[in-house]
Amino acid sequence: MKLYRPATVLVGVLFVLLGGLTRLATPDQVYNDESNLITVHGTVGARLKFGDSTFEVTRMKFAKTYLESSAGDDDKPIETNGVYVALEWDTVRGTKDPTSVDATLTADGGTVYTPVGGTTGAQVTFGEPGFGTTGAVLFEVNPSDVKGLTLHLRPTMFYNVLWKVVDVDLGIPSEKVVQQLVDGAADQYVMPKTVQRVAE
Amino acid sequence: MVPAAHPPPLRIAAVESLDDVIDAIIADRVIHRHRRKWLIALAIVVILAVVVLLTGGWKQKEGRKVPTLTAPVTLTSGRFEYSFTKAEIVRTPKTKYDEAKAELKVYFDAKNVDTEEHTSHSVSGELLRLVQSGTKDLLQSNGDNCRGVLGWELVYGLPAESCFTQFDIPADFNPDVVEVGVLGERYESDPSVLGANDDPYWHNELADAVIQLKPTVVVDNGEDK
Repeated sequence: MKLYRPATVLVGVLFVLLGGLTRLATPDQVYNDESNLITVHGTVGARLKFGDSTFEVTRMKFAKTYLESSAGDDDKPIETNGVYVALEWDTVRGTKDPTSVDATLTADGGTVYTPVGGTTGAQVTFGEPGFGTTGAVLFEVNPSDVKGLTLHLRPTMFYNVLWKVVDVDLGIPSEKVVQQLVDGAADQYVMPKTVQRVAE
Repeated sequence: MVPAAHPPPLRIAAVESLDDVIDAIIADRVIHRHRRKWLIALAIVVILAVVVLLTGGWKQKEGRKVPTLTAPVTLTSGRFEYSFTKAEIVRTPKTKYDEAKAELKVYFDAKNVDTEEHTSHSVSGELLRLVQSGTKDLLQSNGDNCRGVLGWELVYGLPAESCFTQFDIPADFNPDVVEVGVLGERYESDPSVLGANDDPYWHNELADAVIQLKPTVVVDNGEDK
């Protein structure tokens, strides 16, 4: 007895082949698969590769209050129960689009800090290809969990792509250094404007 | 199958052939064979219906399923601890160029108590909602506003910040008591059966409480405070 016509069988075979093709197309690096992410480690002042773009933390500054770059004479500095950590960054964009990136800080105590909301410099940005950008990203930090502060830069991923992660060790190895930094925090930090230039 | 002692009379009207007779006999047997079972099943359904009706029926529980609290009150919901203090209705009178308008400000102290992820996070607008009278939907707030910054990120480990949140309300909004619904996220994972990553994270916000506050009316004349 003839169960299936040749056309039906062909369609079935086609689906099997399509399934195999999609498996071939699955990327090696998958979102949330930490073991597959390529992590670039670095320190303050080191120019780090981020895809074919680069990223550098040029300066770290502790402060007791901060002001927006757009603040007028009437604006009071914004205070904190903790301490502000400002990280000034410098990026140069390559030809590939680095998409938008999330910056977070982690400390040895396990706290994860995200940038202060509402500020002009709440995130790290990349300019047009061949352009460099400077700016600052500001975090409110708990002074009792600062040791081992590390900046993590990772793309905001909405789909499964291969991306690189940048970890910048901010060089705070001991509680003594923490105490020095917190005690020496500036009275005020004025957020710099995000500036673009032609990369050399 | 043991035949019944007194078989019921056969419903044979006009006998035309032996086949018809046999068909009729078989039909009668089939109808009567499970009649008792069918009757019992039907009776059970009827009894169940009567029982459900007598015990109040399948009415959906109406009304509030979370506690109603009166400000000032402190509660923990999701990854935040809130202390609600007061509410203000800020009225802007009609001017030559603008219609009269009003907004509701609800003041609270908020603390990040995220013991799972220890991560800074702001109170998003969908976590605090205004309960409106009648069948109207809950009105979302615009999120936390602390230290003059909208969407302030509350840091785990730091003491509570005093914040407020704002609701867009009609200009004639004038209740004696406003009710704010507090929704808390849950630290849970998506079902991995569906192929999702089974690491838990904060989401799936559910109503935890309703806070009643007596609003004071403030008139904003556009003058400096």
